[in-house]
Amino acid sequence: MFSPLPMRHVMIQVMTEELSLVSLTLAELSVFSPDHRPIYEDRFPHIPGGQFREYYHQGKSRLEKITRHIPLSPQVRLQSIQVVDERKLRDTNEWLGEVWQRCSILEEALRHLREEEQLIRQLEQTLENFENLNIDLNLLREERLFLDLRIGMVPRTNVSQLQEALGLSHYLLFVYMEHENNAHVVVVGPRGEREEELGSVLDTAGFHTLPIPPELRDEPENIRRELDERRHRVEQDCQLHRETLKTCSTELRNDLEEARRTLIMAEPFVRMDTAARSSGYLSIISGWIPAREIQRTRESLSDVLVNPFRLEERKPSREERPLVPSCLPEHWLMSPFATLVKQYGVPRYGEVDPTALFAITFIAMFGMMFGDVGHGLTIVLVAWLFRWKLRSFTPFAVCIGLSATLFGFLYGAVFGYEEMFHAVWMPPLSDPLYMLGVALRWGIGYLLMITLISIHNRLMEGDVTRAVFDSNGLVSIVLYLTVLYGLWNHYTHGVFGLAPLLISVTALLVLLAYRLIETDAPPGERMLVALIETFETVTGYISNTLSFLRVAAFSFNHVALTIAVFQLVSMLESTQGQWLMVILGNVFILVLEGAIVTIQALRLEYYEGFSRFYSGDGKEFRPLRLETVKGV
Amino acid sequence: MSAPISHTYLRTRVSVMAEQLYSPQHLEALFQTPLEHLGQGFSFDQFQNRELSSTTLNRMTEKALIRTLIHELAVLLRPLESPSRSILVNWIRKFELYNLKAIIRGKLQKLSFEQIKEDLHELPGFLALPHEGLLRTESVLELLRQLEEGTYSDIARQARRVYEEKNEPFSLDAAIDRSYYTGLLRCVNSSDGSDKSSLHELLGALIDQQNLIWLLRYRFGYGLSASETYFLLIPAGWKLYREHVKELVNKESFEQVIKALKGHYADLLVDVDNVFDAECVLESHTAVYARHCLRFSSSAVARALAYLVLREMDLKKLYAIIQGKLLQLDDGLIRTAAMMGGPGTGLSHHV
Repeated sequence: MFSPLPMRHVMIQVMTEELSLVSLTLAELSVFSPDHRPIYEDRFPHIPGGQFREYYHQGKSRLEKITRHIPLSPQVRLQSIQVVDERKLRDTNEWLGEVWQRCSILEEALRHLREEEQLIRQLEQTLENFENLNIDLNLLREERLFLDLRIGMVPRTNVSQLQEALGLSHYLLFVYMEHENNAHVVVVGPRGEREEELGSVLDTAGFHTLPIPPELRDEPENIRRELDERRHRVEQDCQLHRETLKTCSTELRNDLEEARRTLIMAEPFVRMDTAARSSGYLSIISGWIPAREIQRTRESLSDVLVNPFRLEERKPSREERPLVPSCLPEHWLMSPFATLVKQYGVPRYGEVDPTALFAITFIAMFGMMFGDVGHGLTIVLVAWLFRWKLRSFTPFAVCIGLSATLFGFLYGAVFGYEEMFHAVWMPPLSDPLYMLGVALRWGIGYLLMITLISIHNRLMEGDVTRAVFDSNGLVSIVLYLTVLYGLWNHYTHGVFGLAPLLISVTALLVLLAYRLIETDAPPGERMLVALIETFETVTGYISNTLSFLRVAAFSFNHVALTIAVFQLVSMLESTQGQWLMVILGNVFILVLEGAIVTIQALRLEYYEGFSRFYSGDGKEFRPLRLETVKGV
Repeated sequence: MSAPISHTYLRTRVSVMAEQLYSPQHLEALFQTPLEHLGQGFSFDQFQNRELSSTTLNRMTEKALIRTLIHELAVLLRPLESPSRSILVNWIRKFELYNLKAIIRGKLQKLSFEQIKEDLHELPGFLALPHEGLLRTESVLELLRQLEEGTYSDIARQARRVYEEKNEPFSLDAAIDRSYYTGLLRCVNSSDGSDKSSLHELLGALIDQQNLIWLLRYRFGYGLSASETYFLLIPAGWKLYREHVKELVNKESFEQVIKALKGHYADLLVDVDNVFDAECVLESHTAVYARHCLRFSSSAVARALAYLVLREMDLKKLYAIIQGKLLQLDDGLIRTAAMMGGPGTGLSHHV
């Protein structure tokens, strides 16, 4: 519960022909994470399945593209699990290629139709524009003897450069309209040898000729009708293509589902990649399995494999620890807290998994800062009503709601009313100094616990020196405790005390000496760095401890806000108004203060807690599994 | 970090990094260094691997050098926020565009997935090109459709027209190159006032160099018309102003263009009679200006960009030396390729 599961490095020796079957079996078990290091490269030089992987990736890419047009069901049902051989995968890939060809042609046709649609829109704009010009437009349409005249569209960004470029060929360019990203232009110049040159420049500039409709002068209505007809035809064509796609979907969906199943069953072997190596008939697979799953894995392989196999397991070596994936036990109650912890990082293998600690302390701090029976129960109720939306975060919201309710009983508050029942403990504002003292003690306890975890983590890494001398090590904890004791002495008896003074100064000097040894720099810089870092360690402990005062401060804030709401209520005369103000005031407190308190509690966890002991740079355990929900 | 702090940090970072730029003596020392030790500067240790062919080593070296440049860019990007950040990111997009061109060319030539992938540079996540998806397309039209949906929709639309109407990759490359520089110009135009003028001058110098080379190449190498050449040039330079460029593209021969050059460029290119030498001279000139910018510019972002420009030039030279040694070329040839002896001393005169 407090650290990732113990893992074992395994090396499975199998016959090469059974590699795919082993991959599939391991994926079914969902307990194996491949190790891609080339540790057995000398004895097993070949990485099998190069062509197989190529077929898979191409097939997967094709299926993904096809599903943009032919959607498949979000979940896959694998009726029977079978090994996919290279031939079957090749056939599937080829078939997917044919289907994609059909889809691609349709996609391109639809793109052309969209372009045509856009052209029609541009023509309508042109028509509207030309109607306002008082010229004979037939002149633009007809071939001229001495004049080369073209009308068309060009991307706006190219206009000015094109205008100047055409000037070099003695052509002129006029913009008569701008629409979307295109400029509608008239290009005019002398007929002759430069016509071909002009065509080339216009092509490069993305010039698109706009045909001038022949009836433009006489009956503009006819043109509108013709454009409408063209648009109608385009729509019809679009509809036709969509129908074709629909027919295609109906015809192919089952086969596509089958192809998807094939790819899913081929994926485990693909994901093995360099974790599977072979030498002739013999192959190996290397990776990580949780220690408690070794026996089950062995039994499953014995059940499915025809040929003998050998599964060798060993504990990870000290050097390998950073590479070992962290397998964190999953629990529905802990899942939302685990998600929040992962926002900070994944625990390294061997490190303490802070999820449970985070869950307990977060819930407690939230309740202490937001203690109110009414508010707490409202959070629980809302979380329950919106559980379909909150999904795995429902337990999180329910827990913090219950914590707020519990502290509400301790504080004796229901929606801010403190006279409804007697507080089991005390209302926060009745003795603020006492509450601040409680928060401070909570902070000290929390920091001590965190520092102890940090020491544990260093010891697990085998780094005894850091466990003792580092800023969150044993010496620091001694310094922290003796300073606290001395301050307590000073507060109660008026003196710091000789023993705490001697111990704390010694601890400080030890920390400084360690920093001096550790820092790799010239003497002056070394001294400066060591002094600053030691000073930072001391101030860090002080500021972190004081930071927990906010736990009490926000409980005052909560009461103060309710007092403000009641003050506003007392200023209103009508009963309805007062009730409305009570409701709105409480909603305001729930939403705004609720969010602030959540952020503050998270801040305390991340900055005051995690940053001291938690590197968060571990590798998440992602076992081979049959991906039947997301993706292909 | 606030802007003044981040810029002070950036200036310091650039000064520290500028120490690794090559002086002529340093370049000479690299030239004399055995191939096995040349990879130390960019964490590449495969030159002693006898199992790798020279082609593979060549490609691996190029990738490693680009990785070095991108890593340094990532360091310089850390303190920056938009719009300063986007200028440097857009500058490095040239590698993304190399990849885009490689993918398009590969698709046109019907190369396999692996063949195209081998030619691509490994790029960091902040560059947007979805390589895998583009590589998995099965025709140029599908590729263009996919591009139209992403960041490169403007290039894709233009590329489609060029492709459908001309069907030649050169025009596509030219359109992409032009779009790269105009995109960079747009970024500079939207930068803060304090950076804008310095960046304009530096970018202007780069654009002048590029415009002049393209002009010579398009006009006399590919035989394009004056108007088409002008259209393909970048619409804003520094000393090569528009009217002057128009005058130059209208010239009918290489010599006429050189003779028609005015001011600074006329002095620089007076003895040049081919595109390669012109490129060497202009690059040296840009390097001089970039070094000036690196030392004296008031804009930290301009200094960072100048550093990247110079670093890229240096890495290209290093690559030329490595490539020459790998292929066991003649020393003179390697010196020419690495631009070590100045123009007119190498390849063009020997061939």
